[in-house]
This record gives sequence, structure tokens and C-alpha cells, in this order.
Amino acid sequence: MGRMRTWIAGVTAATLLVVGGLLAAGCGGASGDGSASSAKPQIVVTYPVLGAVVKGAVGNRADVQVLMPNGADPHEWRPSARDVAALSNADLIVENGLGLEGGLRTAIAQARDAGVPVFTATDHVNVRTVRAGEGADPTAADQQAGAKDPHIWTDPTQMRAVVAALPAAVKASTGVDISATARAEAQRLQSLDAQVAAVLNTVPPAARGIVTGHESLGYLARRYGYRLVGAIMPSLSSQGQVSASHLAALNTAMRTAGVRVVFAEIGTPKQVSEAVATETGATLVELGTHALPADGSYATFMMDLARQIASALSNTGGK
Amino acid sequence: MTTPAVRCDDLAVGYGRHAVVTGVDLVLLPGQWLAVVGTNGSGKSTFLRTVAGLLPAVRGGVSVFGGDPGVRGASIAYLAQSHSAGFLLPLRSRDVVRMGRWPLRGLVGRLGPDDDAAVDAAMDALGISDLAEQPLGALSGGQCQRVHLAQALARAADLLLLDEPTSGLDAASRERYLSVMDSERARGACVVSATHDVREAARADLVLLVAERVIACGPPGDVLTPRALADAFGVVLSGDTGGLAVLDPHHEHDHDHGPGHSHTH
Amino acid sequence: MGVLTDPFVQNAFMQRALIAGILVAIATGVVGTLMVLRGMAFLGDALAHGVLPGIAAALLIGIPSFLGALVGAAVMIGGVSAVTRRTRLSSDVAIGLLFVGMLALGVVIVSRSSEFAGSLTDILFGEVLGVGWMAILWQAVVAVVVVVLAYVLQRPFLLMAMDPDQARVAGYRVGVLEAVLLSMIALTVVVSFSVVGTLLVFGMLLAPAGTAALLVRRVGAMMIIAVLIGAFSAYAGLLLSWYLDFAAGASIVLVSIGIFFVVLVAQAFVPSRQPHPEHA
Repeated sequence: MGRMRTWIAGVTAATLLVVGGLLAAGCGGASGDGSASSAKPQIVVTYPVLGAVVKGAVGNRADVQVLMPNGADPHEWRPSARDVAALSNADLIVENGLGLEGGLRTAIAQARDAGVPVFTATDHVNVRTVRAGEGADPTAADQQAGAKDPHIWTDPTQMRAVVAALPAAVKASTGVDISATARAEAQRLQSLDAQVAAVLNTVPPAARGIVTGHESLGYLARRYGYRLVGAIMPSLSSQGQVSASHLAALNTAMRTAGVRVVFAEIGTPKQVSEAVATETGATLVELGTHALPADGSYATFMMDLARQIASALSNTGGK
Repeated sequence: MTTPAVRCDDLAVGYGRHAVVTGVDLVLLPGQWLAVVGTNGSGKSTFLRTVAGLLPAVRGGVSVFGGDPGVRGASIAYLAQSHSAGFLLPLRSRDVVRMGRWPLRGLVGRLGPDDDAAVDAAMDALGISDLAEQPLGALSGGQCQRVHLAQALARAADLLLLDEPTSGLDAASRERYLSVMDSERARGACVVSATHDVREAARADLVLLVAERVIACGPPGDVLTPRALADAFGVVLSGDTGGLAVLDPHHEHDHDHGPGHSHTH
Repeated sequence: MGVLTDPFVQNAFMQRALIAGILVAIATGVVGTLMVLRGMAFLGDALAHGVLPGIAAALLIGIPSFLGALVGAAVMIGGVSAVTRRTRLSSDVAIGLLFVGMLALGVVIVSRSSEFAGSLTDILFGEVLGVGWMAILWQAVVAVVVVVLAYVLQRPFLLMAMDPDQARVAGYRVGVLEAVLLSMIALTVVVSFSVVGTLLVFGMLLAPAGTAALLVRRVGAMMIIAVLIGAFSAYAGLLLSWYLDFAAGASIVLVSIGIFFVVLVAQAFVPSRQPHPEHA
């Protein structure tokens, strides 16, 4: 076969492939529009804790699908092809915002561009910003004063604000009215707040210093009068980096504040947390801050969290 | 007076400022064959590369067809001493030989019947026509060498620069190579070959004997003397020791080696 | 039959991913063949990793990442040329050091902000499911440029592969052509990393071309087969990603490498068509 002919054949074959692909695109017709097979609207929520609250607010007026499996790390979880399809085909996407769902950034942007309405929870809450002097390492990029904390779900009152804003968005995107169920959920969150406060108040103020894996309990601390002493990873994300100087600063901070418990959580490097615990003589407690308990209930989640924190801090006595 | 194919005036070759061989004076006319003889490291490859234009001369002058080396690209065929092992081997030998015709046709010009004829003739002359469809990787070292020789031959160049062209070749193949040299010269091409094979050099028109300096330069009879060879190689063995390069001082090339005349020493 | 086409027919992002995958297959198939013929595999890998700091810096500054990738590639090429020319180190060592250094630098830059941690995964492994029409346009442009250059320059490239000195003597500007080839590799890496990521683009460069080299012996045919294998890998990889929830970019590369090994093993069982070579 002459070289010229080989080339022509090759270019033709490649062109056919591309054209075929484009034709599929054209004939694909209602792609990206895929209406749900059921009559109910499809609401897609990004991570499970938020999903539990949204389910409570929506009731059975719409199908709520949670993308991330329970136990996944929302900071780094990446969607599969079908997850991306679910986002593109949703009637409403509910996301946390403030960069929590790092791996979903492109997929959600893509869905937004395709016209899917997106409800961002953090748009409707009282956003907490990192304060100067908080935590042990002011040089970490997202520990600079003013950095916004996405971990809103550790404060039921913030979740209540989310639930209050939800009906409008659901009505606008799906036409369904969930105000009744949302109100009921808001009520439940209100009483939950009181119950959590009752548990957390059992710890004397002097013993309320918290050290966590990364900076995830800021909202809880703000709401219930606890102090953030520091975090193993000076980061608002589970994907932060640890440096030697930071660990030294953390150890000092813990000694100064008399903190005897380190709360390890998702994404916390095991060896590092054990080293910190040994160095400071603190107890290591595993805390499930980003995942729902077995019964899938937000209320159980918050109460478990509160009890674990309270018992850990009480047991070690504090100063 | 015909333009010399290669002309060297007090040429020193080497790398950078460091000369490996100095004082080369020679004139090579079209149709002549210059054999550069020496051991490894003697500077013969360096000389060849300087004539090819791959290295600048350290001192003195060298001209190729009256101009600077490395300018008349299409009419010079160069065969390197070692062949890149990285070159992927599934290409067929015929295609490798055809590559020799490319500089004549530009970047995308098609190869025509003339080119195919030249390729066939070259492969035939080196006795590798039956290997045409074989991938390079399936060939032995000697066969590979003949493919590369055929590639240089297919160019029908005015000047052939061959570095160790007979390495890896058996006696029969070497004979083929020698008759190829004859036919190239008959065509009017000029050949410069670098070799440590004294028998091959004895067939040339001009011999340049080097061992980090010019030891002798002239017709084979004058140059390939025991004393000169002792200087170049450090040892001379007379008598046939089967396989070693030997010089028989009594065998002078006063008779003609016609084509096809097989002759063993 | 629907099983094989539904994910694409029903989802715009899957169609885009497929088109991007095919365009990448065209560029990597052609350039990869040249790399395989020249035995440049290691350099190609180095280049692929070397663009990471450029991309990371671009993200940090806020300019389009492919611009950063181009700069990173240029630095890498310049670095390799400079080191191999000036020192006595073998080019393997030089290239290896440079690319690990660039990779480490890239990780350091990206990890400065946890906001970009997700981006690191995107850069390393690709985000083909999020590829947009702009990226596809660039991929098409590069694919065309690469194909045209490969066609026009294939003779000097092959001569250089066989013997750079011979190519020089024949009159080709070897230095310029080396730079052109490196640039073609760099361009291909730059537009392909959005599909398969910098860690894996090397697989796309090598596997389809390597398979083609096992199957055919003429360069033009090699390129065509490499492109076809790459395109099929894109299609099959995306299907796998859909049905099995596998990472898309990695699935594509895995398919192409799987094909290589299948062909390699199959060839061992097929009796050789060639007679044993006689010895010269």
C-alpha cells in the first residue's frame, strides 16, 4: 500500500470515528435531560449528613438521592460516571459549598451549566470564619484569619437555617411544596439543639479545649461554647498537610491549654495522631464527624457526637 | 582538471581544540577509494566524521567537492560504525534500504520505479534480496550490517563515507562488499572507508595509515609495509594465522583483481 | 446492543468524554509511534510528569492550566537538553532526576493549599467526565497539528531514529527536528492530561503504539493501528467506568495496556511466519 494511500485511509478512519461520535451526540437527542422515570422530582444531595436532613425536610414529596456512600470522605470523594449522570439529570442539586465537596466541583459546575438548579447550603447559614490566633498554626494557607469553614453540620441551628431556606428552592425548581415537612424538620432540629447543649454543658468550661484531626468542629465549638485549641492537620480539609513545626506548636498548645484528648477523625494520619498522643500523654479518641450512624439519623449523629465529646473530656479530668 | 571529491590540506581532526590526528594531506578524485586504516581509537572515525561535516576541523582545511563538508547532503552517503539499538526493529529490511532514497525525494515526494530499481539492485549486490520482507530484529548482525550497507548503496551517492563497513561480515559477504566497491568506483563515485582490516585496505587506491598521527599516506604498496604497520598496530604477523589481520610482505598488488575474482590470502 | 451505546446516547458528558478520548487517541497514537520507534519511552514519561509543576503553578496563579503545562514542558525540554549536553551524566540519569524533581515540585506547589488537593488528583488522573468543549477544541487543534507534522516530517524522524549522524549528513536539521518532536510530545501531553492525567498519559503514548509495533511493520500502518486501539480504549474504558464505577481515565489506560499484553501473549502462541534467518 502506497504511503500516501495509507495516510489517506488513516485520516479517513479517524475522521469517521470522530464524526460517528458527533452524530451520536446529535442523535442523542434529549441527552442530559433524562427525566426521572417516577413522577416524583429527583433531588440529589452530595454527602450523607446533609442528605439525612434534606430527607427529613422533604419527606416523601420528592426522591432524595445521596451521592456519597456513608463513610466516604466528602473532602476528597470523586464521582463515578453514573454519579455524574445523576447530577446532570437531577431536578435540584443540594450541595454544601465552601469547597467541602472538592471532588465534585467540576461535575456540579457542569450540571449547573446544563441548567440544573443548585442549592448551596452554606449560602443560607451564618458562616464561621477562622479567627486570628485560633488553632496552632497561623501560616497554613487556609488557617489564615478569614478563611471560611464549611463544616456547618456540627451545629443543628445552622442545619435549621438550611431547612428554612430549602422549600423556596424546591418550589422554584420542581414546583413541589415542602413547607409543611420542612417546618416539622426545623422543629426537630430546634429540640435537638437543646438536647445537644444539655449534654455538652456537662463539661466544665475549663475542660472544653478541643483538638481534632482537621479543623472540623468549629461550628459546634462556636455554638456550644467550646474552644478550638488546634488540629493535627492545620486545615479545613481532611487533605491537609502536616509539617514538623506545626506538630511542635500543637504539642505546646495542648500542654498550655491542658488538653488531654485528641479527637482523630476521617483522613487523620494514624501514625501522626498516635505520635501526638504519646508526646503529650493525651488519649486518642476516634470521632465520626463526617459520617452518619447506622440508623441514618442526623439526630442520632449529633447526640452520639455530643456524648462522645462530653465523656472523653470529662473522663480525662482536664484542669 | 576534475574537482577533487575530497581534499585535505594539513588537516588536523579531533574534538574541540584537541587534535587526534594531524597533518593529513591528500587529494581524492572521483572514482577513487581511500582506506583509512588504524586500530580502534586511532582517529579514523574522527577523520571520517570530519569529512562528513559532523565535526569541525581542528586545524587546516578540508573540502568536499570543492566546498565545505556537510553541505552537499543528498550526494553523500554516510554509514556509522554502530547502529542505534533503540531503533525499533519491526521495520522490514526493504523499508530500511528504501530510507536511503529519501533524501533524494524531499519530505513527501513519492518514491518511483527508479527508486525501487535502485533499492532492488543494492539489495541484490549485497545478497540480501531474500531478506527483503524480514524485520530488522529477525536478522543476524552480519545481515543487519548488509542492510545498512545496501541503504548507503541505494543512494547512488557521489561520495560514500563508510565506518567499519565489513564489521560482522563473513568472507562471502566481504567479497560482495569488495565488488560493490569496484562497481561504485566504476560509476564515478568516491569512497572513503575506515577499517582495521588490512586486507580490505590493500584493495584501495589510497591508504591513510593512522595511529593518533599520520604514519603514512599513499598507494597501498607504499603504505602497507611491515614497518608502517608495526608503527600503526604495534605488531606485524606474517604468514597465515587464520583469522588475524596479517600482512604477507611478498604479496604485492601488481596484478588486477577483476570483478568476481575470489582471492584469499 | 443498547448496553454498549446507552451511556453515551443518554448523557452529554459521556459523549464529550468519548470525543475527547478519541482526539487524545489520535494525538497519542501518532506521537507515541514516533516515540516508540525512537526508543524515547523514558523521555516521554519524564515529559509527562514534568508538566505537573507548570499546571500546579498555573492553577495557583489563576491562568488556564494548559498554559502552565506548556511552560512546564518547555522547562523540562530545556532542562533535559542542557543537562545532557553539558555534563557527563548519561541522559537517563539526567532525565530521571529532572522528572522526579519536577514531580516533587509540583506536589509541593499544589499541596500549599488544601483547596487544590482535589486538583492534584484531577491533574494526575484526569477528569475526563468533566471535559468541556473548549478543551475538546484544543485537543482537535493539537491532533491536526500533530498529524500534519508527523506526515510531513516522518522521513527525517525515522532517519534520526536510525542514526542521527546519517540524518545530519543527508542534510536534515537534526537539532531543529529534535525540538519539533519534543514539542509534539509536549503538546500532546498538555492536551491529554485533562482526559487521563499526567501520571497515565504516558500509558496512552506507549501502549497503543507498542501494540501496533507488534502487529505491523510499516510506520504509516503503525500509526493508524495505534490510533484505532487508542480510540477503542477510550470507548471501552468509558463503558467500564460507567458500569463498574471505575475511575474513567485510569480505565481507558488500563484497557490500552491490557490490549498490549493480550497481543503480546497471543503472539507467543502463533507460530512464526518467518523462516529462521540464515547467518551472514
